[in-house]
Amino acid sequence: MKRFEEIPHTADWSFRAFGKDLAELFENAAFALFALQGGLKCVGDGAKEATRRVEASGIDYESLLVNWLSELLYLQESHHEIYPRTQIDELSPTALRAQVFGTPYRQLDKLIKAVTYHNLKIEPTLGGWKAVVVVDV
Amino acid sequence: MITKLNFERIDEYVWQVPPSFRGDMRVPARLYASEDLLEDALQDESVKQLVNTATLPGIVKYAIAMPDIHQGYGFPIGGVVATKLPDGVISPGGVGYDINCGVRLLASRVRVDEIAPRLKDLATALYENCPSGVGSEGSVPLNAKQLDDVLERGSEWTLKHGYARREDLDRTEEFGRLGGADAAVVSKRAKERGKDQLGTLGAGNHFIEVDRVAEVFDANIAERLGIFLEQVVVQIHCGSRGLGHQVCTDYVNDFQRAVREYDIDLPDRELVCAPLNSPEGQAYFRAMSAAANYAFANRQILAHHIRRSFEQALAGHVRDCDLIQIYDIAHNMAKVEQHEIDGQPVKVCVHRKGATRAFGPGAAVLPDDLRDIGQPVLIPGSMGTASYVLIGTAGSMAQTFGSTCHGAGRVMSRAKAKREVRGETLRDELAARGIVVRAGSMPGLAEEAPQAYKDVSRVVEVVHRAGIGRQVARLEPIAVIKG
Repeated sequence: MKRFEEIPHTADWSFRAFGKDLAELFENAAFALFALQGGLKCVGDGAKEATRRVEASGIDYESLLVNWLSELLYLQESHHEIYPRTQIDELSPTALRAQVFGTPYRQLDKLIKAVTYHNLKIEPTLGGWKAVVVVDV
Repeated sequence: MITKLNFERIDEYVWQVPPSFRGDMRVPARLYASEDLLEDALQDESVKQLVNTATLPGIVKYAIAMPDIHQGYGFPIGGVVATKLPDGVISPGGVGYDINCGVRLLASRVRVDEIAPRLKDLATALYENCPSGVGSEGSVPLNAKQLDDVLERGSEWTLKHGYARREDLDRTEEFGRLGGADAAVVSKRAKERGKDQLGTLGAGNHFIEVDRVAEVFDANIAERLGIFLEQVVVQIHCGSRGLGHQVCTDYVNDFQRAVREYDIDLPDRELVCAPLNSPEGQAYFRAMSAAANYAFANRQILAHHIRRSFEQALAGHVRDCDLIQIYDIAHNMAKVEQHEIDGQPVKVCVHRKGATRAFGPGAAVLPDDLRDIGQPVLIPGSMGTASYVLIGTAGSMAQTFGSTCHGAGRVMSRAKAKREVRGETLRDELAARGIVVRAGSMPGLAEEAPQAYKDVSRVVEVVHRAGIGRQVARLEPIAVIKG
C-alpha cells in the first residue's frame, strides 16, 4: 500500500495518507510530513535515533490527527530532529500514545510551519483508511 | 463550483457574489480584480474560501479579497474580514500561522552605481549576518524573562537593547508594539520555539532583497518618504517564526471546542472563531498581539544586522552606508479599528490575511510626519521581479476597511514549480540578469520561481485604479538572500 500521495495546492501543501488501520494511517501521515520537507535523505546515515514518547488528545479523530502532527512539528523544532519512523501504541478517538524515533537533520529542503484543519477528512476505504491534510508552508 | 456567472460586476475592478448564492452567507463576497485576474482566481478554491468567510458571525459590509487572492486554508490569501464589536468574532485561522508576517523597507542614501562593484560582497555579508534557512538559530538568545519582555514590548525592547533607533519605531505599523499583548497566554511550547529564533529570517517565501528604485510614479510622496530614482533600498520579508506558528496552532485547536460552546456553525473547521469579547477571544487576541510583537522585534533585529552588513561591505568604498527606515507593515494580523459604516463610526475587528493595512491621509494612528500623506504600503513581488511602494488612500478607508493587496499571489503549486524549475538553473538565469542570489536550499528556491506567481504589476495596477492604494515607486532586485 502507498503510504501517502501529494495533492496539488496553489500556495501550501496537501497530502493524502493511507493506512490499513487508523494507527497505520497516523504513522503514515507523520511519514508524509517529514518526506515532504525533504527529510528522508537524512535517514540511515548512521546517526543514532532518539526515542521519544508522545501523547496527544483531541475532540475527535480529525483533531487528534492535527494535534499528533503538530506535536511532531514542535518536537522537530525543539530537538532539531525529524521523525519519519513512529509507532502508535494506543489510539482512541480522543487520545493517543506513541513512540517516535528522532533523526538529527542539518538542512531540510522546506519547512512545514503548521498543520491545518482546512479540508481535513478521515474516511474509510476498501482496504483501510485515508486522510486528507493541508499544511502551511 | 463557482464561475464568473455567479458574480455581479459592481465596478470596473469590483466583482461581487451576492448572499443569495449560498444560504449560509451573511454578507456579499467582494473580489477586487481585473477580468483576467478574476479568471486566475477561479482556477482554484480561493473564491470558495472567500465565500466561506462571508459566513463568519458579526461580519459587516462584505467579505473582501484583493487581486493577489490565492488559495490558502480557511481564509483565502488576500482576504479581509471585519466583524463588529463587541460580539463579532475573531478567528485565529483568519490571521494564519505566520502572525505578523510583514515587510520592512530600509533606504540608503546612495545610488546603485556607487555600490555595484561591491554588490557580491554585500550579498555575502547579508547572507552571513542574517541567519536563514530551516532550523536556523538566532543571534539573540533569550532567557524566559527576556522573551516575555519581547512579547509584551516588541520593537521597544529592541530599542532598549541597542538594535533600533527611535526613528525606526516611528516608521513601523503600531510603532512596533501592540499594547494588548500578554506573554502569560502564550504557551510554553510556543515560547520554547521562540527562545532561540529571534533575529532569523526562516525559510519558504521569506527573503531579504537589495533593490534599486527603478521608477518613481509620485515624485512628491517619494520625496517625503526619502525615496529617489536609482537609490539602493533593502526589503525584509518575514514574520514571527515558530513562536507564531505554535500560537496559531494552539488557539485553532482550543477554538474547536469554543465553536461548540458558542453554537457557531462553519463550512470549514479552519475558520473556527469565538466572539472577541469572550474569554477565548480575548486570550487569543492577547496571544496574537504578543506573537506580533515578536515579529516586529524580529524584523528590527534583522534590520540591525543589515545595517552592520552595509557597514562591513561598503564602509570606505561609498560615501554613506547608513540605512533609514521607510516603513514596516504587517500582512497577517487582526486589529481593532474604527471604520465608518453607513455614515457612523463603528469599532470592528479587521482580519487581514495576506492583505496590508493602507490607511489614508488624516488617520490618527499615523506618525505626525506622515499623517497628511497617508501610510506607506510595501508590496513585494515574486523573486526576481518588481516590488512596489504605495501609499494609503481615502478610497481604501471608504471601500476596504483601510486595506490593500500584499504581493503577487501564487498561481502555480509548489510541487509543479519544483517539477518545472531547477533551483540552480533559476539562480543562473537571475545571475545573467545581474541579480546576485545567496540561497541555502535550491529546491526551496525553485518553489519560489517567478513563474509560480501572478505578475505583481497587474495586481498593483488594479488596486491603484480601484483607488485602494496609490503607486509611489517601483523597485527592481539586484541581490536576493533566501534560506
